[in-house]
Amino acid sequence: MKRQTIRLKDISKSSEQMVELNPADFMRLPYPYDTVDSEPAFKQLTEEQKKKYEVSVDGVVALSLPRPETKAEEDELVRKFLSGLGKLLTKENNWTFLQPLSLTLEYCAKCQTCNDACPIYTGSGKQEIYRPTYRSEILRMIYNKYLKRGGKALAKFTGNDIDLNWTTVARLAELAYRCTLCRRCAQTCPMGVDNGLVTHELRKLFSQEMGIAPIELHSSGSMKHLKDGSSTGLIPVALKDTVEFLEDDIKDRTGLDIKFPMDKEGADILLIHNAGEFLAWPENPMAFAIIFEAAGLNWTLSSQSIGYDAVNYGLWYDDVQLARVALKHAQIAKELGVKKIVIGECGHAHKAISVIADRVITGELNIPRESCMTLLEDIVLNGKLNLDPKRNDFPVTLHDPCNLVRLMGVVKPQRNILNKICPQFREMEPHGVKNYCCGGGSGFAIMPSMNFPDWRSSVSGRMKFKQILDAFQDVIDPNIRKMVCAPCSNCKGGIREILSYYDAWEKTGIAYTGLVEFIVNAMVDIGEPYIEWPDEM
Amino acid sequence: MPELELGGNTYEVDEDGFLQQLDKWNPQFAQDYAPLEGIDGELTEDHWKLINYIRDYYEEYGIAPMIRKLCKDCKFKLKYIYEMFPSGPAKGACKLAGLSKPTGCV
Repeated sequence: MKRQTIRLKDISKSSEQMVELNPADFMRLPYPYDTVDSEPAFKQLTEEQKKKYEVSVDGVVALSLPRPETKAEEDELVRKFLSGLGKLLTKENNWTFLQPLSLTLEYCAKCQTCNDACPIYTGSGKQEIYRPTYRSEILRMIYNKYLKRGGKALAKFTGNDIDLNWTTVARLAELAYRCTLCRRCAQTCPMGVDNGLVTHELRKLFSQEMGIAPIELHSSGSMKHLKDGSSTGLIPVALKDTVEFLEDDIKDRTGLDIKFPMDKEGADILLIHNAGEFLAWPENPMAFAIIFEAAGLNWTLSSQSIGYDAVNYGLWYDDVQLARVALKHAQIAKELGVKKIVIGECGHAHKAISVIADRVITGELNIPRESCMTLLEDIVLNGKLNLDPKRNDFPVTLHDPCNLVRLMGVVKPQRNILNKICPQFREMEPHGVKNYCCGGGSGFAIMPSMNFPDWRSSVSGRMKFKQILDAFQDVIDPNIRKMVCAPCSNCKGGIREILSYYDAWEKTGIAYTGLVEFIVNAMVDIGEPYIEWPDEM
Repeated sequence: MPELELGGNTYEVDEDGFLQQLDKWNPQFAQDYAPLEGIDGELTEDHWKLINYIRDYYEEYGIAPMIRKLCKDCKFKLKYIYEMFPSGPAKGACKLAGLSKPTGCV
């Protein structure tokens, strides 16, 4: 069946759905997923959900955006959108991102080079509405028509004749959550245009000016982080219980007596993990503790609310929330008097506090921040641990978190480590700064509602799954156990869901874990293997 | 908020079927919900052991226990938990225990 052609202006025209997603159209996957029937059934929304929420982009819900009840409500939202867009384009309201946004709105040559760089566009089988320039071109038309002097009068002649109505606004809101902010598009653009930034600025407009954001990122995300101390709901007393459990578990598994240093004043290092690690992947903070103690580091965790959860979801959708959390992280480090903050295996937390918040945490609050990758590289490569690579003698590949590689340039440390301790390490192609997103970027991994997870695993994560399968094609037999190293909580979540969606452990023997787990697994002084495979848990 | 009718009672749940008011939970809720989670017949002693453990932990700490701790304290293998609750500890057992959907990077 031929797919219908979608034009830019279609975004304003009311219809049940702009596109119907059909897995048969998606990019083909390698063996053993190379037939259409190996694709799991895509969950459909209920009729009730379709009535209740804005679903008219692609029948997928990220925002749970309620449909306005009256025309007056719709008009008010459209007005807010336009005034918010105006604010994005003034230095008083958007000094951080005004320049790259203005350049992006003015200079796109519409060469569409970026389209093929986008894993969602290509993974979906080139759905027009997912191309990185689709939402940018619409935003540019709105800007040219409604905010530029004489724009409305000239709209018909300048090709900007778009109708700004609630349908347009609602669809732009959902479309702002069909991009993982991986910014491969920006990397490939010959003009330096940043279509990923357009997504980010749209999300910001919706959140800061209209109160529209995914529940998981805002009310049970950054708001919960500020209120309870962690977006996971891990309150300080629960952290204490958790850490005690981890100490016992280390003892049971390795015989080592390790106490997690808590709130140690004047320590060299304040280590901040993504709190999801404590709850979903406790082997990760345990491995950090084993390594740091074995290497003799002077380190501490914080037990203070917010100080033990490195996440900063504001990075993905709201500058105000970003600043609130970043300030709190810096204040806690300052009060402890530590020499530096080391960020655990969490990509977006790296970028939030190291790069983006750099101009928010000024003066005495600007405490040095270091990636755990460089610190671990120093430990592993400079012989501070007794390691035997033979203990990791199974096929391993490395997933590069976008925030670490493309967006920060931390590329070599993690592969130097794996090259040293994993004899069967093989790269995905492409990798490093040219990597592909896990599909869970920009918060997608923690948005588990309705049919969004199906979209994430089969569309936004598709290119990653293809890369993983390609990297292991020579050992794809499910009896050969193999591991994806994903040194980022969000990416681990994304990859866990892809592997589960496709039943990949059973069909291909592929499992996943973080980076420090491989290091501890190679430690000669630890008796039993540290890495646990799914069939051993 | 969507409503779910189970055994003649109506409960408020979220779009993914998680109970919204923890105090509306009762053992009958868990039993009546079981078939929707692919569990046939009466819940067994082990089902209840897990559900009660999750509820007690939640009452004390305001979150679901980590799976590792739950397995260790209840002396269950993860595989066995999946046999009991086919959608797993977080999506299945916690749902029957009346907890809301997990939040954050878990």
